[in-house]
Amino acid sequence: MAFFRGEQGSVKFDDAGSTTATIASTRSWSMTIEKDVLETTALGATYKSNVGGLIAGSGTVELIYTASSADETNVFIKAANTATDQGVAAFELFLDTTGTKKISFVGLITSADYGATVGELEVITCNFVTSGTITTSI
Amino acid sequence: MAALDLNAIRAVIEGRLATELALAPAIPVVFHNMAYTPTPSSTWVQCQVSFGNNNYVTMGTGAGASNSVIGVAVINIFSAKGVGPGASLIVAKRIRDLYVRINTSGVRFDPPIGPEVVATPSPEGYFQTQVRLTFETFEDL
Repeated sequence: MAFFRGEQGSVKFDDAGSTTATIASTRSWSMTIEKDVLETTALGATYKSNVGGLIAGSGTVELIYTASSADETNVFIKAANTATDQGVAAFELFLDTTGTKKISFVGLITSADYGATVGELEVITCNFVTSGTITTSI
Repeated sequence: MAALDLNAIRAVIEGRLATELALAPAIPVVFHNMAYTPTPSSTWVQCQVSFGNNNYVTMGTGAGASNSVIGVAVINIFSAKGVGPGASLIVAKRIRDLYVRINTSGVRFDPPIGPEVVATPSPEGYFQTQVRLTFETFEDL
């Protein structure tokens, strides 16, 4: 049975939504896919029933600041502060190093947390939401 | 980017110390795994660099991945016995000033620990204090 560890993961991104590039110095990522629930319980029923509704995803990428420039990593950490974001950026969140097990989607970065703490590596946390189809090739 | 050259890291630490202690007043310095017979009641320094924990810093298992490598340089200062700590602390100050919170050639030093008095000097016959320098460097694969 194959098991995986976090260091086998990675994140790729392209703000223009075409060819994704690896985000350097990624420390972690996480994503939640949520489905709306619509209740369809009939009058007089004993038990509730539900059907699935619209699906959306959101999550977080945490990376270590490296002062990279003129690359997708730099675009990534500044994306929350760009005007007129059309939500066309391509994201790929990988679970293994072979590059085949991934969650891919189009979305946008909604917030970024920057910080510096004495004695610790400087970490930037970027939060995103999906816009449209989410493909789970996992 | 490549795997870490441990001797390059060692050279950064030892070279800095050797250069400083060659200045007047010069003080003999001896490093790990080197024979040295000190002059009785003289002042001399022993520097021992060791590497410790290695940790993942970023995702990825190949190119582009980074690891943290930490280590410690234990610097023993030997001076004449029975004449107080002054001579030892003068040397300790030179060593602290040399490393305190600097980042050089990719090696980052924490604030030094010590100088602490060593209760049982080794070798015997000296007053011994110890300065410990923890350091960190990053291996970019």
